[in-house]
Amino acid sequence: MAQKEISKEEIMAVYPKVAETMADALGCDVDQVKLDVSLIEGLDAESIDFLDMVFRLERAFKIKIPRGKIVENARGDLPEAEFEQKGIVTEKGLAQLKSYLSEIPAERFKTPMKVADIPRLFTPATFCKLVISAQREAKAAA
Amino acid sequence: MKVDSGLAGKVAIVTGGSRGIGRAIVELLADEGVDVTFFYRDNAQAAADVVAAGSAAGLAIEAMQVDVCDAKACADAVERIAARTGRIDVLVNNAGVIRDNQLAALDDDDIRVVLDTNVGGVFNITRAVIPHMIMQRSGKIINLSSVSAEKGGRGQTNYAASKGAINAFTRSLAVELAPRKITVNAVAPGVIETEMSQDVRDLAGDQVKSRILLKRYGKPQEVAYAVWFLASRYADYMTGQVVAVDGGFKME
Repeated sequence: MAQKEISKEEIMAVYPKVAETMADALGCDVDQVKLDVSLIEGLDAESIDFLDMVFRLERAFKIKIPRGKIVENARGDLPEAEFEQKGIVTEKGLAQLKSYLSEIPAERFKTPMKVADIPRLFTPATFCKLVISAQREAKAAA
Repeated sequence: MKVDSGLAGKVAIVTGGSRGIGRAIVELLADEGVDVTFFYRDNAQAAADVVAAGSAAGLAIEAMQVDVCDAKACADAVERIAARTGRIDVLVNNAGVIRDNQLAALDDDDIRVVLDTNVGGVFNITRAVIPHMIMQRSGKIINLSSVSAEKGGRGQTNYAASKGAINAFTRSLAVELAPRKITVNAVAPGVIETEMSQDVRDLAGDQVKSRILLKRYGKPQEVAYAVWFLASRYADYMTGQVVAVDGGFKME
């Protein structure tokens, strides 16, 4: 489903609460949860921390985030077969990923990029977008 | 210096808690000061008896009718408990069924029901509970396995496969949850004096006893003690283990 682009203002509106929630999950200081810090490389997040963040964000924002939704959101309208092939993100997929994760500097998108490595790109801004998308979906369903 | 078990004031869920081993676990944990909610599928009278006995003894025991095969019912029940208590410290996956027969004589239902309940049920309830444990950074999960998982038994392919799966599940989940200090262990009972094992005991008679080093069947409370230990702080340094409570069941 095509999604209206998420504005910087929308991100900044949810960011303080997202940062606080993520700091709780990661057991770090809220000041460390900068909007553009890499969660894995900058804040040592492990896979279970991602789950913890999702559970806490669901509780804090009273939303439901289907598991695996981040990559799905990033893929947008692109069919899975066009987004990746044999676990590697296609050229088209990479362009889509860059567009969705527009806040991430271009040099962080390595090629070839494995689908399994996509979470390495994630930042708190990615999670702000996830929250906003879930809020929009909940609103649309209401 | 004596260290207390750390169980008083904790919140536990026990599936299949109205009879047999499950009831013994419910009563032992509640007696230790644990707030226990147990699930039962259809024996409302047996469940009411457990609650009444607990109430008479001043214990915090609640019963909920939940079919562990129903993922949504499990999720809803867990959310109701978490809303009341604010946390879930202990999960005992005890609910299980047995439908013994030689493989060639098992019908589709005998296979499906045993796997859906003994394996699917554990997935359903555990998946609903672990978000709470992950967020609180603590928890103890204890799965009821069986001696059948490791030792061959005629007429038990469905049951043995389900319990073998539980041992594998226990070890993998222990790896997943260790970063949050959540422990996952299993208890593997041998032949225990319960309604569920009555047919096995009737059929096998003394022949089974001859395979048990201690020459007797176990009591539900003896399994409950192992669960209690794994739920307590005494077992804080144990995870991914399958503890046999089987009187020394040997393969012959």
